[in-house]
Amino acid sequence: MARLSDSSGASDGDEPSGDEPNDNEPGDGAARVSVDGVEKEFPGERGPVRALDGVDLDVADGEFVCLVGPSGCGKTTLLRIIAGLEPPTGGEVRLNGEPVTGPGPDLGVVFQEYHLFPWRTVAGNVAFGLERQGVPEEVRERITSDLIELVGLDGFGGAYPSELSGGMKQRVAIARALAVDPEILLMDEPFGSVDAQTREMLQGELLDVWEETGKTVVFVTHDVEEAVTLADRVVVLAANPGRVREVVAVDLPRPRRRTDEGFVEGVERIRGLIGD
Amino acid sequence: MSVDTEEAAVDARTLFASADRDWRHLARGAAGLAGFVGVWWVVSLFQNDLVLPSPVSVAETFVAELLSGAMVTALFQSMLHWIPGTIAGTLLGVGLGVLLGWSRRADDTAAPVVRLLRPVPPLALIGFAIAWFGINHAGAAFIVAVGAFWINFYNAYGGVEAVSEDLLDVARSLGVSGDLAMVRTVVLPSALPEILTGVRTGIGRCWMLVVAAEIFGVPGIGRQILTASNNLAVDVVIAYILVLSLVFLVVDSAFRAVQRRVLVWRD
Repeated sequence: MARLSDSSGASDGDEPSGDEPNDNEPGDGAARVSVDGVEKEFPGERGPVRALDGVDLDVADGEFVCLVGPSGCGKTTLLRIIAGLEPPTGGEVRLNGEPVTGPGPDLGVVFQEYHLFPWRTVAGNVAFGLERQGVPEEVRERITSDLIELVGLDGFGGAYPSELSGGMKQRVAIARALAVDPEILLMDEPFGSVDAQTREMLQGELLDVWEETGKTVVFVTHDVEEAVTLADRVVVLAANPGRVREVVAVDLPRPRRRTDEGFVEGVERIRGLIGD
Repeated sequence: MSVDTEEAAVDARTLFASADRDWRHLARGAAGLAGFVGVWWVVSLFQNDLVLPSPVSVAETFVAELLSGAMVTALFQSMLHWIPGTIAGTLLGVGLGVLLGWSRRADDTAAPVVRLLRPVPPLALIGFAIAWFGINHAGAAFIVAVGAFWINFYNAYGGVEAVSEDLLDVARSLGVSGDLAMVRTVVLPSALPEILTGVRTGIGRCWMLVVAAEIFGVPGIGRQILTASNNLAVDVVIAYILVLSLVFLVVDSAFRAVQRRVLVWRD
């Protein structure tokens, strides 16, 4: 994967577009995210609805953080704000110290419903961001095929999304987000639409990819076991209005087994925090 | 990721099944067509030729018109306003449909004018066609273009409006910024199925408009049909109607093949 990061040219800092939040640390692939007093209000029928109320959160280089919480706690909204897809009504998000002002290739996003471009093949989807950056075709092809291999889809480069299963689509979406070598990978319940068996497999594969690429990951889920399986730290949010309730560090060696004492304890503790 | 060889087997099975089904479709279609001509023929036995000529006499007239060159000339003349009219109307319709579907500002500005002009039937504009272009191919092409315009405008507009907000988000986070880049990379490909449906519907509708547009004296197949009607030459009328149908069939099938090829990604 180091080869991928070096060759993509995604963060070499020589792109003309000036709206990238930052472009230092080329090829390092890890970033520090700080969420500072972020507030979000949506207009409602009876006055504004407060979705997020002063959220503070720091994510370290290469860290894997999961956001969990009851429905309505604003975890997806928080992720979208970090991704620059939605502006906060208060506070600020910074990536390596630079304020995030909008979406861009530094902020990789993976959605629950995959959102692949249906008119593009698997390879075409993965190559999309690279084409935007004007990466030469040979380089593009190499990165694309390496990534397709990384997510275990060799031989499917020419397939269209309509020919793929849900799990395969999500692998493509992950490869597509990784292709532009983002500083951080933001994932919104990415495995929420696949069956339990596929989900466990994808979790394992994601950890492999994470270890190989060293990306910083912020991962939204409503599945507490998934959070404890994946995360270095689990951020538990509370609802109405959305705020950070507690941050639980998961100090267990990977791969984690769901029957281990520490695992069960962690899950119980987080469930208790959500349920109260 | 485990790859199922089963999938390939399923593919082969559905392929054979669909070929089988295709044959059955064709056989049924042929039977229906034969039945139609049969009924026509039987009914014509009991009718005066002025009311309903038999399929045989229509076929004779068809060949005679074809050999005399009159049919080819008329077809060529109709093409002269059908093709430019359809192309111009399609391009304008798709262009404005995409623009107004994408840009809220352009839509707000143009909406009152669009609502005002929308209900005007193309044939009501014959006066303008004559005044602006004269009784010629350009005039007829204008009528045809108006017809093509609205169909394509609304299909393109609808297609662009339906572009998934989520796909736009994905594109933004992959570095697409600016309207032009977004339209090119996401909006157009995403709206293409609707746009192509519009183009195809437009091609057919315009072929019908060609005949109507020739009412005011422009030569072509429509003109031949009108003249033959005035002379009570029903066999000639039917022969030219057949030409219309055949040309439409060829063009529509060709376009459908293109459409399938371009939209191969759809399930």
